[in-house]
Amino acid sequence: MIAKVICYTLNGLEGIPVEVETDVNKGIPAYEMVGLPDTAVKESKERVRSALKNSGLLFPLHKITVNFAPADLKKEGAVFDLAIAVSLLKASEQLVGADVSDTVFLGELALNGDLRPVNGILPILISAKKHGFSKFILPKGNEKEARFLGGAEIYAAANLSEVVAHVSGAALLPPVETAEFSVLSGRRAASADLAYVKGQPVARRALEIAVSGGHNLLMVGPPGTGKTMLARCLPTIMPDLTFEEALEITKIHSVAGTLGEEGIVTERPFRTPHHTATTVSMCGGGNRAVHPGEISLAHGGVLFLDELPEYKRSTLEALRQPLEDGVITIARSAGVVTYPARFMLCASMNPCPCGNYGSAGLTCTCTPAEIRRYRAKVSGPLLDRIDLQVEVDNISYDDLTSQQKQESSAEVKERVEYARRIQRNRFAGAKIVTNAEMGEGEMRAFCKLSAEGDAILRSAFERMKLSARARSRIIKVSRTIADLDASEQILPKHVYEAVSYRIYDKLG
Amino acid sequence: MEYTREEKAIIWLCGCVQAEYRERAALLRAAGDPARLFAGLQEFARGVIKDASARVYTIDGAAREREADAFLSRLSSRGYFAVTLLSEDYPENLKAIPDPPLVLFGAGNRALLQKRRFCIVGSRLTPPWAEKQTKLFSERISQSFAVVTGFAEGGDRAAIDGACAGGNLICVLPLGLDGCYPAAHASLKEKVKRSGLLLSEYPPEEKLMKYYFHARNRILAGLSEGVLVVSAREPRSGALMTASYAADYGRDVFAFPYNIGVAQGSGCNGLIKKGAYLASCPEDVLSAYGIDAKEDRRETLPPEEARVLALLRENGEMHAAELAEKLGMAVFELTAVLASLEMKNLAVKSGGNRYSAL
Repeated sequence: MIAKVICYTLNGLEGIPVEVETDVNKGIPAYEMVGLPDTAVKESKERVRSALKNSGLLFPLHKITVNFAPADLKKEGAVFDLAIAVSLLKASEQLVGADVSDTVFLGELALNGDLRPVNGILPILISAKKHGFSKFILPKGNEKEARFLGGAEIYAAANLSEVVAHVSGAALLPPVETAEFSVLSGRRAASADLAYVKGQPVARRALEIAVSGGHNLLMVGPPGTGKTMLARCLPTIMPDLTFEEALEITKIHSVAGTLGEEGIVTERPFRTPHHTATTVSMCGGGNRAVHPGEISLAHGGVLFLDELPEYKRSTLEALRQPLEDGVITIARSAGVVTYPARFMLCASMNPCPCGNYGSAGLTCTCTPAEIRRYRAKVSGPLLDRIDLQVEVDNISYDDLTSQQKQESSAEVKERVEYARRIQRNRFAGAKIVTNAEMGEGEMRAFCKLSAEGDAILRSAFERMKLSARARSRIIKVSRTIADLDASEQILPKHVYEAVSYRIYDKLG
Repeated sequence: MEYTREEKAIIWLCGCVQAEYRERAALLRAAGDPARLFAGLQEFARGVIKDASARVYTIDGAAREREADAFLSRLSSRGYFAVTLLSEDYPENLKAIPDPPLVLFGAGNRALLQKRRFCIVGSRLTPPWAEKQTKLFSERISQSFAVVTGFAEGGDRAAIDGACAGGNLICVLPLGLDGCYPAAHASLKEKVKRSGLLLSEYPPEEKLMKYYFHARNRILAGLSEGVLVVSAREPRSGALMTASYAADYGRDVFAFPYNIGVAQGSGCNGLIKKGAYLASCPEDVLSAYGIDAKEDRRETLPPEEARVLALLRENGEMHAAELAEKLGMAVFELTAVLASLEMKNLAVKSGGNRYSAL
């Protein structure tokens, strides 16, 4: 008898339905799998055999053929275990009368019949729902993640016996209750807060502008001046996630298997890949499944590159295209995968190899050639894409600021949210959300400069030998500064301030 | 370009004969008339050049003249010219030094040799404010003088940047005109060649030697009526060496004043201690040469900018946060004002978010 059960596999964040067909025939006992299964899928043979036996079910001693359709798609991972087991039971007539044709079965089996959670549940559920499936049975360990789907019948089972009991109608599982998304539900106590950062008024302001307009940020300063601490404050002043954003970010983290206890991402990601990171780990890839890289894991949040010049040149150059497009398309022989990668780049570096260039009391011992070599490790095109370049200095301002209470992240966040609101209204109906994403057309419409503003820009352009891209980035930053100032017009002071954040063009 | 037979002989001596400066000068003295070198080199070389036979005397007088002609045509094909001690436009004040270069190979505007010349030098580790000042000084001084400088980064570079646009610029290289040191300045070299003048006492193919810097510095001082040192670190610095040559030759020495304890300026302060002129504005230099060059730098500034500038002038270098505190402004408002002042060349950022007035 032939049985057919639906399962799902992933290509990037896109779920693809896979029919698991099992045929149990008379003949010399054998157990074959066809339809391009990879090693992990083939190994499920043994897992399924043991799980059936240990759940008090019968493993048929017949000629068994399992087929995965469509046959030309490579199947990966252990997500098919449950579907294979159910189809085997159905084909060997141990599940008589139960209708499983409209149910999607997902999950990995343990030898004792327990169901183990799998990666990528949320993107699978979302795709399957789009394809018209509304009934799902999945492992208990994926329940939390599945709660946020809504509008579907989802059952979470602890082991194979529960699945069998549910499908045959002997003991129904309670449906998973849809959870209401709330950012506060998952918020951990923030480890970083701007209130703990002493001094650094220039850098604080740059952080605020960067987050408000979605601009990229470079912090230059001697070692130990708090660049990393400032960067860690970035997520704390970013606007709260919306449900749609959270779902999209969760999808990526679900695929990567980096989802926490909560089952959904409630905080903006803050990724800090070490400078030894390879291009593949940064951008995504891998020889079998194409995994999302750090830039995709940072989607919706911050990618922090500490000690920027220490990263491999090729790795940094690979960031250029995603920085412009907000997505990364990875082509492998197995197929082409696109992951979202709209992140805010925050980088830090020393001003020179010895770190003392431009610092107050200490003398820099580097020659101009050394400094140039050090800075040349970060290419011009990449720097061009970093709108805000700010110095973090090493003076202690304890006496200046001791009475002054430092602004907390919450206060800054309020202003950020305000600027973001202005931008949302401005770009209502358009695909973009922040000033940094503006194209030529939007810039023409929303970034009119007065004659005076244009004169300032012209003079900066000539003096600092700016590129055309740098020019348009300065205009976008001016727009954000004007938004923070609640000004409809971009005033000369806004342009001046934006120009002052291009220190690198002056230093280099 | 036409050269007399005497000039040709000197050029040949410097371009084709393997010898040191001292040996060449001695040969020239021994010969009296340079043209006699062609035929009688062996004779004059006796006692002047050790193991001379290995180096020069393989050909006769006529062949040597042919060699000289070939060398000259190579020079002119590359657009270079040579100025010898005998040439009319060989700078008088350079001739006055104890060991004047016998030949100067040049590329660019030869007429600059007739102008008054003033030298600006600084070390490679010149702080940003001093670079900016140097540029301003060089720009002003180049209106009355041809600015003479080396070709290094830092102070020299700033002097070049200031004078290059006007064209009144002479760079003396420590290697042949074909080479470029530092290599990163290759495009700058072309620029100087087009608008100013490049000089070298070495034949075009000559490679860089460490001690050539030393020799080059005597030319910088010798060419100039005075030397301004914009940065120098004690005890050893090329800029200080140039200044000490200038003092030996009886030329004026000027120096930028520095704060106590700033290593890059210890040499400048040391010079002032020993009696160099303190140069805090271009007029300090120009007035020493009787040039009345008062420039009205007062601009009508918006009140905010004027306030910031006054405070900076009063306090010297200040941190943005400190400045904002004193003015009762938000730092980001101040940043805009400072950027404006910077673009008007009235203030300069010196790193670490600190600013000073110019």
